[in-house]
Amino acid sequence: MGYLFDPENWEWLGTDNNLRFLLEAFLVNLEIAVIAMVLALAIGLGLALLSIAGNAFVRRGAKVWVDVFRNLPLIFLILYLALTIPESVRDFWADNAPGFLPDALRSRLVLAGIGGLVLYNSAVLAEIMRAGILSLDRGQREAAAALGMSYRQQMRFVVLPQGLRRMVPATVSQLITLNKDTTLVSIIAIQEVVRSGRILSQTAGNPFAGGGDVEAPILQVMIFIGLLFVLVNFGLSRLSRLLEVREGRRTAAPAASVAGVEETVAVAEAR
Amino acid sequence: MFDVLTENFDAFASGLWVTTRLVFASFVVALVLGTVVAALRVAPVRAMQAAGAVYVEIFRNTPLLVLLFISFAGLRRAEVDISAWTAGIASLGVYTSAYVAEALRSGVAAVSRGQIEAGLSLGFSYAAVLRRIVLPQAFRTVIAPLASVTIAMVKNSAIVGASLLALPDLLKEARIVNSNTFQTTEAFFWAAVGYLLLTATATVVFRALESRYAIHR
Repeated sequence: MGYLFDPENWEWLGTDNNLRFLLEAFLVNLEIAVIAMVLALAIGLGLALLSIAGNAFVRRGAKVWVDVFRNLPLIFLILYLALTIPESVRDFWADNAPGFLPDALRSRLVLAGIGGLVLYNSAVLAEIMRAGILSLDRGQREAAAALGMSYRQQMRFVVLPQGLRRMVPATVSQLITLNKDTTLVSIIAIQEVVRSGRILSQTAGNPFAGGGDVEAPILQVMIFIGLLFVLVNFGLSRLSRLLEVREGRRTAAPAASVAGVEETVAVAEAR
Repeated sequence: MFDVLTENFDAFASGLWVTTRLVFASFVVALVLGTVVAALRVAPVRAMQAAGAVYVEIFRNTPLLVLLFISFAGLRRAEVDISAWTAGIASLGVYTSAYVAEALRSGVAAVSRGQIEAGLSLGFSYAAVLRRIVLPQAFRTVIAPLASVTIAMVKNSAIVGASLLALPDLLKEARIVNSNTFQTTEAFFWAAVGYLLLTATATVVFRALESRYAIHR
């Protein structure tokens, strides 16, 4: 305990540009999370629609795809992609990535990191959306069909607006998980916050590595990084609860839940 | 395809065994800690509730990778002599315990208030009411969420292996096979089969438990 709270071991936080160095790296995590979430939502919706399609063959295929990729470890997918994405594709990205992206997101391996995150999360989100859509009363679609709507219109105007609204809490919960999972790209050497923290703990206090004279012990650095995540994710979970309560007031629907994600969040809150 | 499996069977088998032991040990830690924290969260004392809530919010919102760095590299730097296994099991166990506590809490909430009051009025202490009346029922209502948590734990065990060098789990063995044979897709394919085997086993076991013990509300 003495070691942990010893002010000397926290001095690094106020010296040089250490704090700024970590916060800028943390921003990379948040950016990766947002990019991966947007892509995963779009692809997940596609997979969810395929998994409730009329054609049994398509439905089966989508289900197998979703079940395989949401049951594999994310780090497994990231490492596999890092080893197999062709050189030419990586070079193409490194040469042609838009300039407004930070350096970490223009590196050659970032495609494997984001690709793994999207592959995994689109499968998880597809399952959440499927549960949300299926939790909707059959009569809704039948009524829409009886009114003469085409399949496309039924989906677009009746099923999806209601089904997707029910999955908001579960999606925010998955966003929190995704946010934590962005640290995994440090394993393939993308410089986000965990990697920056390790670099900091190795270089600060080490003049040969270009650091100042205040050491940054890895225990304190990682605790600080952990707190950054707690702060952001706690805010997100508060937001999710707020949305839940609001939704709960508007619609009193039966709950359905999705298995396989870390937290079983009712897709539709009954309260 | 199959030759990669047969020629490296020992590596895959030992990796699968390491992953299995890691998951089992962490599951025990998560279950014990999760139950204690859930009990804190429903305790009649404000301070205990707050302590439970803080525990859950901290460990549920911190990346597992960061916990691993704190518990292994961080503690070693602080001259605590901790082994990779202890650090791995503690990190995965503590991380998962926050989810177990949340699941159990919802199970406790599903037990009717009247049962607790009845127990108290019969002269049971609050701890005895929890242990003999509430928790047995709570566990039976949350079997399905616990299955999800366990499957997530199988997947998260790969993070432990990827970050701690001294823990040769299934994913790490696959990477070793890959660097020896250069057959990346084959090596990863057989590791994937291993992971799907573990998650499928967990699903089957929990489904059996559910059909036998679950209380549906």
